[in-house]
Amino acid sequence: MRRFALLILLGLGLQSLLAANYPADQRHYWRVVQPILRKHCNEACHNADDKKGGLNLEKYDFIRRIQADGELFTDLMRQIEDGSMPPQGRPRLTAMEKDTLFTYIKKYLNDALSVANPGLIPPRRLSRREYQYAVEDLTGYAFSARAFFPKDPSGGEGFDNYAKTLYITPLLMERYLEAAEMIVEETACSVENWERIVPKTSKKQLRPLALWWAKLWGGEAASRKARRSAAQDVLFPFATRAYRRILLPAEEEQLLSFFEEVYTQLPKGKHRFDDGIAEALKVILVSPNFLIRQEGDQPTDIPYLVNDFEMASRLSFFLWSSLPDDQLLEAAYRQELRDTTLLKAQVERMLESPKAKRMAESFAAQWLDIDKLSEPSHNVDADKFPTYTPELEGYMQEEAIAYFYHTLTESQNLLELLNGNYTFLNRPLAEHYGIEGVEGLSLRKVSLSSEHRGGILGMASVLTASSLPTRTSPVLRGKWVLEKVLGTPAKAPPPDVPELEAAKKTHEEMTLRELLEIHREDPACMGCHQEMDDLGFALENYDAIGRWRENYTPQLAKIDASGTLKSGESFDGPSELKSVLQGKKHLFAKNLAQKFLGFALGRSINFKDYKTVQSLADTLLEEDFNSEKFLQAVVMSYPFRYKISDPVVVEDDF
Amino acid sequence: MSKHQISRRTMLQGLGACMALPFLEAMVPSGIDPARYYEKNSPKRMAIFYFPNGVREDKWTPKGWGTNFELSPTLKPLEPFKKDLLILSELKNNLVDVRGTDGHYTKTAPFLSCFNITKTTGANINVNGISMDQLAAQHVGKQTLFPSLEYAIDPVKGGVDSNVGYTRLYGSSISWSSPNQPCPREIDPVYAFNRLFRRVIPGKSQGAENPFKKSILDIVMQDAKRLNKHLGAADQNKMSEYLESVRSVEKRLVSDDKLKDFEANITPDIKKELLRLNVRIEDYVALNAGVDITTKVRLMMDINALALWSDATRVTSFMFGNSVSNRNFTFLDGVTGNHHTISHHRDNANLLDMYARINYWHTEQFAYFLDRLSQMKEGEKSLLEQSMVLYGSSLRDGNRHRPTNLPIVVAGQAGGSLKTGQNLNFPKETPLANLYVAMLQAFDIPVERFGDSDRVLHEVLA
Repeated sequence: MRRFALLILLGLGLQSLLAANYPADQRHYWRVVQPILRKHCNEACHNADDKKGGLNLEKYDFIRRIQADGELFTDLMRQIEDGSMPPQGRPRLTAMEKDTLFTYIKKYLNDALSVANPGLIPPRRLSRREYQYAVEDLTGYAFSARAFFPKDPSGGEGFDNYAKTLYITPLLMERYLEAAEMIVEETACSVENWERIVPKTSKKQLRPLALWWAKLWGGEAASRKARRSAAQDVLFPFATRAYRRILLPAEEEQLLSFFEEVYTQLPKGKHRFDDGIAEALKVILVSPNFLIRQEGDQPTDIPYLVNDFEMASRLSFFLWSSLPDDQLLEAAYRQELRDTTLLKAQVERMLESPKAKRMAESFAAQWLDIDKLSEPSHNVDADKFPTYTPELEGYMQEEAIAYFYHTLTESQNLLELLNGNYTFLNRPLAEHYGIEGVEGLSLRKVSLSSEHRGGILGMASVLTASSLPTRTSPVLRGKWVLEKVLGTPAKAPPPDVPELEAAKKTHEEMTLRELLEIHREDPACMGCHQEMDDLGFALENYDAIGRWRENYTPQLAKIDASGTLKSGESFDGPSELKSVLQGKKHLFAKNLAQKFLGFALGRSINFKDYKTVQSLADTLLEEDFNSEKFLQAVVMSYPFRYKISDPVVVEDDF
Repeated sequence: MSKHQISRRTMLQGLGACMALPFLEAMVPSGIDPARYYEKNSPKRMAIFYFPNGVREDKWTPKGWGTNFELSPTLKPLEPFKKDLLILSELKNNLVDVRGTDGHYTKTAPFLSCFNITKTTGANINVNGISMDQLAAQHVGKQTLFPSLEYAIDPVKGGVDSNVGYTRLYGSSISWSSPNQPCPREIDPVYAFNRLFRRVIPGKSQGAENPFKKSILDIVMQDAKRLNKHLGAADQNKMSEYLESVRSVEKRLVSDDKLKDFEANITPDIKKELLRLNVRIEDYVALNAGVDITTKVRLMMDINALALWSDATRVTSFMFGNSVSNRNFTFLDGVTGNHHTISHHRDNANLLDMYARINYWHTEQFAYFLDRLSQMKEGEKSLLEQSMVLYGSSLRDGNRHRPTNLPIVVAGQAGGSLKTGQNLNFPKETPLANLYVAMLQAFDIPVERFGDSDRVLHEVLA
């Protein structure tokens, strides 16, 4: 360790020799600021060897590295300020040291924020959801990608459209080939779908009489030409839609010559042309131009507007989870998407399209974490909850998506996510909720007379997803509220929490609340659990599959759903909790802003996006949570419309 | 009828299926003694089994060290294979023991790679090394249809864990073909089976293979190369992923030689097994038995074993569950809750009892796999004798999350390279990576070091 420190000192000596080449603030950092970090943070704990808490502060030799990890340093300053770091037993920072550290770190971070940076969006393959919708839009065939492809991992803000985790693997490539075969064959089985791709008119010049006529005048070459031109009429529009841009001449030629190659090998007959087309369509469906969304780089290191077709794709994958439609491609072609008025109009049009439901589906199901209900690892206990069927589970998920879609497009009020006097029900779901008078299996909007439902916190899908298979867990539900609603997740539990003797008593002897209260006696736990558990207890009137209850069964103990937040508000039961949460709408707004931006960009939201997130949250608050205005603001935001070229050397990648 | 009974019936079916079938010598060139042929030509296999959430300590470690030991309650189902086992105590995945990070993800992802992982919600995924199964696959993978195959029961866990700041992808991956990329796992018995065997099951393959497949791949490869020219550094990464995938598929599915080689491996014995398994998978789908986890695990294990036997691959890995798996285990007698919750037993007697029962169920399934391998013959030898099968978890006690004294069993003799039938105790904090070096050497791969290894665990070598 000592030797290591010596090496650093030697390194520093070298640095100062070379320091003349660096700007004054960098030199000042080495001379004045970094020694404070080194003395109080690196030396004993946060160095490359010990990495206490997984943190190595030694590597922050350059200001720009601090700026790149702005979040970390914001948190660090907060911890130093509130005295949690350096930990008990270590020397405190002097007032002078503290002041220097705060002044300069804050300055670096502010400097970083003042330079507009739209962030880097690496190329990404279509997620399996996006692939499914894109195929449906292209061919009319409702392909089920969920069964066909492995589930995509997620990252960033927790969505599966996250660029960096959308790997391309041999397994996937194998499935893409199989899927292309299946999709094209199934499409050809439906006359309606096939004729939309290969219109009868495109084959006019290929009718026997027409061909005979062409041959008579031009010989074999003329019939080949007629065939090429017919193939072109089919393949070019299809490829343009699939690739979401104008085709390159080389790509056009390649498709045509492939078609011709296949055609000559196919047996003569009525379907020869269509069969040749079918093979060319498979090429398009496996091409990286279709499967990978990537934007061209310009040779500059300053940010620039994404090009028109890229913008069309950003829009359509954000709002529809799929390809741009013809109208959007045409708008891109006419360069209209650079015009902010026309851009806003597109958002309005796109939200009106039924395709916007797909966004509701991908976004809401992942944000609320109700996607996992249909996975094999989450199974509600059948013996304890015999009424919980796969069908009911499906309706529960549908309710959440329909509700979200409604706030997005009908009521256009995202605050209704927290509370509303309506929800979407069919008969089985209404029975599950104990609501009478709803018939049939299709979900519809139902006005509510009680305050038990309405808003995401009263939804069986959410309440089940945040429960254990056999019982409720106030901890999990509290964690869910902190994370999903307020966007203020608790910190990780401290390592090696000592066992509490009292907790060894069996579970049955105590109520959940008693058990958790023992847990909280430990000061290491109390900080987070007090609030987390109380938030969860407010929802205890819902059982583990979201049914209303007044008492625990079988003990018949009365449910105590009261609690208090750190900030002082107290509540008793879900409807009071909802009002308290509505009072914290600035947190909800910020959380929505961050989640939506992350979903729209397919990347992590980081410190450099701070201003964008804040201004989107402000839009929500100022516009009373109007969804259309908010989504327009997301689309108009700097990182959504601009990009920066991928630098050749990734500086912070070490 | 409870689910438990269904699984027992299926298990008996499975066992019935592997009762001695006459050994057919279709594969052996004429004029050669089959036993000697296989002695020389039977390749070694490696299979990895990971289970989440650790074990109940006092019921795991067998009594008595060395060759004279008595299996512990949790390992009891392995009794028939006692002489085929190496049970290893006090191994530790040292570099992943970073205090104050997270309990699960940081240990699961590097279970087989032994370096500390980079904390990220996705932007910088890095386990800082490749996993040992993938290292093995790089060496032997070219000789088979697939370099390796990865299986699991649950899909990758979605979302990020915002409390600890890790993407849940880390908790769903033990096999890493590169430090930045995990191998995707197949979780559906139907797809997993069809991928390998549909061509050799009559009526399974829908029509003939597309004669234009090769041309299609050629063209999309040109597309990728054209795009590659205009891309920045990170972008090229994605395109090279694409290109590599196309090449791999081309080698496997388009070149007739590879497919024919593979099809020639399907001896009548293997084919009989495949046909039986196919029926069981069809039953599984028809009965909508997707909820019965024991059946599903066993089907996946059968596919896994047959993939090794047919030499579709020589390296497989399997995850019983993702990190922090909270599978509902109420289908077991005496268990009223779910896995992760129970693993945090707080030394409560009731929870400890359930924890042991869940551990026991896992061992039973592992025993089923060993049984399958032991019934599969190559010449005089069983596949178990030719294999090394690692069974373990990345935590010791689920209540404490420590990667010390990991529960680790290795089964099979790897063609005579492993000295099985031992219960071994090592000095505290002996690097787990030492075992991996020994395993890789037993797999005939010339490595001296892996992860934080400081010596070869020669005690396990014959």
